[in-house]
Amino acid sequence: MRAASDVGGTFTDLVYYNYDETTGESGQVSVAKADTTPPNFEQGVLNAIHKAGINPEALGFFAHGSTVIINALTERKGVKTALITTRGFRDVLEIARGNRPDLFNFNFRKPKPFVERYLRLELPERVNHKGELQQEVDLSELPKMIDYLKSEGVEAIAISFLHAYLNSENETKTVTAVRGLWPEVSILASSDISREWREYERSNTTVLSAYVHPIAKKYIESLQEKLAKGGFKQQPYMMQSNGGIATVNSAKNNPITMVESGPASGIFAAAYLGKKIDEPNLIVLDIGGTTAKCALIENAEVKVTTEYYIERDEKSPGYPIQTPVSEIVEIGNGGGSIAWTDEGGKLHVGPQSAGAMPGPAAYGRGGNKPTTTDSNLILGRIDKNCFVGGEVEPDMAAVEQAFAPIMETLDIGLEEAARGVVRIANANMTNALRLVSTNKGYDPRDFALLAFGGGGAMHAVALAEELKVPRVIVPVNSSVFSAWGMLLTDLRRDYLQTQPMSLNAESSSAIKERFEQLKQRAVEDYRQDQVGDQQELVFEHLADLRYQGQEHTVKIALPCDKDGCIDLDAAVETFHQAHLKRFTYRLDADVQLVNFHLVAKVEVPKPEIARKTIHGKTLEETLLHKRTVDFDQHGCHESCVYDGLALEPGMSFHGPAIIQEPSATLVISPGHRAEVDDYGNYIIHLQQAEQ
Amino acid sequence: MDIFTTEIIKDSLVALGDEMFNAMVRTSMSPIIYETTDFAVGATDAKGNLLAQGNGVTAFLATLDTAVQSCLEHYPNPGDIEPGDVIITNSPYHGGGTHLSDVVIILPVFFEGELVAFTVNKAHWTEVGGAQPGSVSTCATEIYQEGLHFKFLKLYNSGEINQSLVGLIEANVRLPESTLGDMHAGVAAARVGAKRIEELIKKYNKSQVLYAMDELLDYGERMTQAELLKLPQGEYQAESVVEEDGLGNGPFTIRVKVTIADGRMKVDYTGTDPQAEGPINCSYTGLVTGARCLFKAVTNSDIPANGGCFRALDIICPPGTVVSAQSPAPVSLYYEPLIAAIDVMWQALAPVVPDRLPAGHQRSVGATFISGEHPDNGELFVMGEPLVGGWGASAGQDGDSGQFCCANGETFNIPAELFENRYGVQIQQYAFHNEDGGAGEFRGGKGVVLDYEVTADVAYLTYAASQTVTRPWAMQGGQQGSNNYALILRKDGSEERHHMCTTVPVEKGEVIRLYTGTGGGFGEPSRRPAEKVVADIKNGYITAEQAQRDYGFEPQQEGFSG
Repeated sequence: MRAASDVGGTFTDLVYYNYDETTGESGQVSVAKADTTPPNFEQGVLNAIHKAGINPEALGFFAHGSTVIINALTERKGVKTALITTRGFRDVLEIARGNRPDLFNFNFRKPKPFVERYLRLELPERVNHKGELQQEVDLSELPKMIDYLKSEGVEAIAISFLHAYLNSENETKTVTAVRGLWPEVSILASSDISREWREYERSNTTVLSAYVHPIAKKYIESLQEKLAKGGFKQQPYMMQSNGGIATVNSAKNNPITMVESGPASGIFAAAYLGKKIDEPNLIVLDIGGTTAKCALIENAEVKVTTEYYIERDEKSPGYPIQTPVSEIVEIGNGGGSIAWTDEGGKLHVGPQSAGAMPGPAAYGRGGNKPTTTDSNLILGRIDKNCFVGGEVEPDMAAVEQAFAPIMETLDIGLEEAARGVVRIANANMTNALRLVSTNKGYDPRDFALLAFGGGGAMHAVALAEELKVPRVIVPVNSSVFSAWGMLLTDLRRDYLQTQPMSLNAESSSAIKERFEQLKQRAVEDYRQDQVGDQQELVFEHLADLRYQGQEHTVKIALPCDKDGCIDLDAAVETFHQAHLKRFTYRLDADVQLVNFHLVAKVEVPKPEIARKTIHGKTLEETLLHKRTVDFDQHGCHESCVYDGLALEPGMSFHGPAIIQEPSATLVISPGHRAEVDDYGNYIIHLQQAEQ
Repeated sequence: MDIFTTEIIKDSLVALGDEMFNAMVRTSMSPIIYETTDFAVGATDAKGNLLAQGNGVTAFLATLDTAVQSCLEHYPNPGDIEPGDVIITNSPYHGGGTHLSDVVIILPVFFEGELVAFTVNKAHWTEVGGAQPGSVSTCATEIYQEGLHFKFLKLYNSGEINQSLVGLIEANVRLPESTLGDMHAGVAAARVGAKRIEELIKKYNKSQVLYAMDELLDYGERMTQAELLKLPQGEYQAESVVEEDGLGNGPFTIRVKVTIADGRMKVDYTGTDPQAEGPINCSYTGLVTGARCLFKAVTNSDIPANGGCFRALDIICPPGTVVSAQSPAPVSLYYEPLIAAIDVMWQALAPVVPDRLPAGHQRSVGATFISGEHPDNGELFVMGEPLVGGWGASAGQDGDSGQFCCANGETFNIPAELFENRYGVQIQQYAFHNEDGGAGEFRGGKGVVLDYEVTADVAYLTYAASQTVTRPWAMQGGQQGSNNYALILRKDGSEERHHMCTTVPVEKGEVIRLYTGTGGGFGEPSRRPAEKVVADIKNGYITAEQAQRDYGFEPQQEGFSG
């Protein structure tokens, strides 16, 4: 048995399947849910395991993702943390980058640093920009500093020296000395957290990782203990933001790598499915209750970036985290997003959400604000008799009441208001989808739109019309797609190293040597974690490249043979092409390698995607009923409503139609053609693309 | 007309600003554009009313519509502007004018032969020629020394590029590749916007889009009116100075009288000193930008700016002052008087709009240029950057520390680790200083001190700031902030202080030390609670001596002092 769990804000999900170690055959994937149990989240995990009827002894593999890290950060529940920097630079953490995104707000304040100034200390030391040790760190003040930090109740220390990404000697020396003086304290050096330049970003990342370090350690250890008590014989793996899993040991050492472990798994599931069904280029959309997340997958590869921020929006610079995270754009638009009008009489949708409590007005739990879900009910897109899987009878009186202020302000009827809300919600999501596609030089016509999450199926076709995407793919059981993704990840470590050098024949041996060093680190790290000894390590060679004199870099996969020899001419040409796509021009200038990026993976067996059984039903037999659905610009139509779980591979029909599953509704406007593939996924071919 | 279709078109027009902004960042080859984001993009209707704008810096707010309006004055007759034309201008004394380095590209958008809109952008080109590299100096006496001057020329005629003009530019600038790159980026960004407008019209039809344009402007006006009516009616005055013009003349006083009455705001700069001999002049169109900037800050900083937002604003200034300079006044440091013009309006209104306006800030871009030969490879480097400083305190909050001035915005400092790689300089400190200033019940934000140790054999410093003698203003009994200035720490132990200088040589091992102002305080320092003063001492935001002198406080505990 193999299983994975994801601790969300409300529910803890568990996905699992039978796996025969000897034959390598896998069974059907199943899902179980339990309530999330703060503050002892591991209890919810065990409850879910119990609910699924799994004996932990039978588990051969268990992966775990949680929001513990991001919650500790956003709720400021970490420990009191200190920072030690190069003399002259302790204020970098507070100055940050000096920008004011909220341009005309002259009363703007930057977000407060996670370490107050009195806990930001300095040591005399210096490494220069070439990585040469200019001044050895002077530790004579350190004992006094440690006494001071102890007396202030500090529990974690971050160390971040200038240019430590090139030379970590002074940092390492300082860590060793601190450990000698104060063995119990959590201590993290920037060179162990990130090997990229930009001192503010690296320092902040180290600080945030230290801030959650004791919490993560405690959480992981109590999970290990509880699982062991239940009879689990192995060690669990932790989900990371780079889409891979890590050993508990590695996760404990640098907990910030777990900051975005939730959203990534859905995106990786999309990439995996895309590979299976021969759709390597995807625009991915996950619509939940409060937000919509978008990502772009090219050649079945999810893009990973280290330019990641928390709490960043149009008004706030947020906090940078220089750790590998899947490239995702998230906007405040989901099923529960609230519609409202401003003083100028303009209708907006989101970013405020009715959340799970009280939820949309139709839930009848006291929600008195109109939401996107309420609008879809009014328009007949959601089945009133099958609302929330048939568990809730929608409170239409409450819905009408919630819409009254908008109807009054804009002097319009209920249906018109609902159409307006959906249209504006769609416009918001279209803008987000443009951010990951057209704004980065991609033409949506070369992609398929893969949509999942509670609201993905509802809006996908309308969004595809707007973006001119030729096909929409909605996976069967799309509401639990993300959870399924957790079973599809490999052990993965990303090694980034800033070391600018020319990309030409002269530096080819230096480049090879650099990658060799990174590989040695990977082998050593996996060896320490006691994995990878017998298993095969798989490497990917990536690099961030730029034109000499320019700032923008583009990440490319370096063409590489089995011995790790890089084809430089091919690499340069790949870069020119990628740059042309991303920035619209290519230059005749020298190409510079800025960051080495090695991905080291240990592949993990994955469940087969089961083919859907054909019982030979007719399409009519899967018809649930007919009802009138409002397709906005496409008009109101009497539409066939099909039972998604009953549809069989090979079936095909045209909109206007609805495909209904217990927790998802796929809206197909007139003219588009829907078909069911071998796995039961729904593929919608858009009319304009078919002509 | 269906209101939601109108809404979606309006949103699409606003989104145009962001799309063109991204296109500009994507196509530009100059760090000043993609890092300092010293540019703006936008669209206007056929009459030059601003529909939407994407800005990186506040100081370009609404310079785009006045540029189009001036363009229409230059080409008043039907047929003067034709499909496929692109117009280029950088004239400081006409609409959209700031200094010659900021070049405007205007693209008329036609649909079925009818002029329906303009897309337009303005960007700081790295080089437009003139006496000094980078086309900025503290010593010009006429605009002719500051670079090439384009006055509404056709860069494209009916789709054909004007090769004579391109050749002229190429031969007259120091970095032709980058300058022409910036030019092409401007045209590309304008085309992205034009294409989107055409698509909108094809999708929704012309009359619906034109109607939405009018609606959008009216919406801006309504939103602004609602806010304007909340402001206290009355007349408010203030004055301030720009200390010098780079040639030793000064100070120059800027005066303003702001009147809020009957749902309008009138800003009158009459009484401001005459234009200067040196390059610290700003033209009237630059002043319009400044006044609109503060008007936006006190009305509504949230909604995207459009022409409708400024219908209730009147800006008055007689010609020939330091903020309404006439040809051929040099203007390359126009941003210093421009910021001063914003600052006096700010100072006049802060007492009555305390929830939106704090006390005075460092009030200077503090533009610093260092050039020389890189010791690693012998190549020429030219570093140019604005500096962060302290902002003023406001009712209820200490000021923000280490933020770019009000004329900047989405502007980023250069990380020391990149800086040292790129330039022949090593940074020895980037920290808050403890110069006196900013004490108050709410404390002014901290200014910074930056030490640049020269590692090249010799480097050249060009520096220009204001508020070098006068200090950021305080509110309600707070203490004024501190000054902006540069020091050169010479090998012989001497210190040289500079406020405005051009290409001063600094030798290897010598240090350029830059100070930026701490912001003004708010309220009597004696009203600051003791526990906050204790925390300030512990954090090192104030010294024990300042606590005693400014706050009347006997310190007991300090932070770690190693």
